[in-house]
Amino acid sequence: MLRREQWLEFARKLDWEFSYVSEADVYPAEQSGSPWLPSADWADWDEPFRTSYAEYVTQQHEKDIALYAVRDAVGRVDDFEKLPRGWSNALKLHAATLPLAEFAAVVGNLRAARFGRNSAWRNTAALGALDEFRHTQIPLLLMHELVRWDRQFDWTHKFYHSNNWVAIAARHLADELLLTSNAIEFAVATNFVFETGFTNLQFVGLSSLAHGVGDRMFEQMLTSIQTDEARHAQMGAPTLAKLAEHDRPRAQYLLDKWFWRSWQLFAVVTGFSMDYLTPLDQRERSFKEFMNEWVVDQYLASLAEFGLERPWYWDTFLEALDHYHHMVYASAYTYRASVWFDFVLPGPAERAWLADKYPASWPALDRVWSNVSERWQEADPGNDFAVHGTAIVPFCDLCQLVLCSGTQQHNAASTIDHAGRRYVFCSAPCRWIFEQEPERYAAHKDVVQRVLAGEAPANLVALLRRYFGLDYADWGKDAFGGNYPWLVRTQR
Amino acid sequence: MIPLYGFLRGDTLGLLILAAEDETVAELGHKLAQAARIRVKTTGPLQVIYRGRTLDPTARLREIGIGPLERFDAEEAP
Repeated sequence: MLRREQWLEFARKLDWEFSYVSEADVYPAEQSGSPWLPSADWADWDEPFRTSYAEYVTQQHEKDIALYAVRDAVGRVDDFEKLPRGWSNALKLHAATLPLAEFAAVVGNLRAARFGRNSAWRNTAALGALDEFRHTQIPLLLMHELVRWDRQFDWTHKFYHSNNWVAIAARHLADELLLTSNAIEFAVATNFVFETGFTNLQFVGLSSLAHGVGDRMFEQMLTSIQTDEARHAQMGAPTLAKLAEHDRPRAQYLLDKWFWRSWQLFAVVTGFSMDYLTPLDQRERSFKEFMNEWVVDQYLASLAEFGLERPWYWDTFLEALDHYHHMVYASAYTYRASVWFDFVLPGPAERAWLADKYPASWPALDRVWSNVSERWQEADPGNDFAVHGTAIVPFCDLCQLVLCSGTQQHNAASTIDHAGRRYVFCSAPCRWIFEQEPERYAAHKDVVQRVLAGEAPANLVALLRRYFGLDYADWGKDAFGGNYPWLVRTQR
Repeated sequence: MIPLYGFLRGDTLGLLILAAEDETVAELGHKLAQAARIRVKTTGPLQVIYRGRTLDPTARLREIGIGPLERFDAEEAP
């Protein structure tokens, strides 16, 4: 029997010359990506894991056994009932936004498994597709049990099939990033920027917080997924190296575009969880500190390694670290019935901690929370709509998120006219991304356009029920019904 | 009605404000402040800024020429 080293390299690097069809027909630029290079130029593409299928199956089996053992030990409803209330809502946020995005990533990987320009790339992508199936199935399986306890967990599966505004934003991102990108853009955007650049926030930062609050199930899930991500993310660097060598401006463009889009997603999903939904006594660092430690420095080092520049909007991004997720959280808190998870109102201790961590932005944000708290003081506990916005909220025509960029002193939104239609953007980078490829984005209607076109109801409650797919039982509320020990109600 | 993107200084997000052409600038500012009041408390009169220009509060929107889905800002007058 041949030893591993005697057959593996031959099996991994099995490319051949075509005799009755052209390379360009086998690997069309629409699917494989540009710049289109002859196969010889891709011959030195490689990744360090070099996993065989047999090894893959053995490793995944062992990981699944470990995961199921933890689920059997601590994955019951009564185990989740012990978790802090804020944290269980961080879980609902992740449970909805991630699993079916992972399923879309199956498609991106399968495209690379067919149209990647080197056999080693295609083999790794095939295993990547299997990884992403697993990352879809694990949270669906684990969270399904919890629906009996709290029907907001039903959004784990329901979310991407709804017209909820967050789902529209998430689909806008996932469809482009994972479903429609060619193999080169997928590798640069998903494997390099998203997975290599940002997922440490989840796998290191959030995993550590999960451990702190005693959520062994979520911690184990993240750990199990992280080892898969670490392997298939390796498709990014060699592809980016080839792209930077042959088409540096396109490499820079793809990095700049996907860094911004990835940042916005993580700012909401991870930023909310770290700075608001994790109990104060379990917080280790702020979201900004995690970003600086696990994303910013490493990303800049990676860019330098490839001789590429930091994004042109870098100063805007650094400013956003102080403002963006706070502005979205405060906005979303006051429109919480429009989403499927509950929010925590930061009290004096939390606000003091945030003031310490965000001295540049917190004074203005604190005034907002004072105002919201005063509203709760005048309202009965549980009367969420007494402390809720009613005006229609517009959305960015690129990211489809609310217009929360810039600062409270100067919101960064701007409008442009394109082909007879007016578009609004939350930020200069979102506007820039649109302007690079307007044909890619122009036809998409944000929620306001849908309302104005009569496709969605203008009345808020009708919008929530009939269009966003929410009902009283599952729409977001204050996690404590506005009933906090520090909040003294006004005598009436 | 004209749908407009309104931004109140101190608020965390932009809001869609539906305005009538015969409304005054002051009424438009008041409408935005009411829509944002859950987050921002305003006490004094507001000034409305459109295309970098502070508008006369008594002017009607039709005189300003502000069109659908344009941006305006409002802040407390100094």
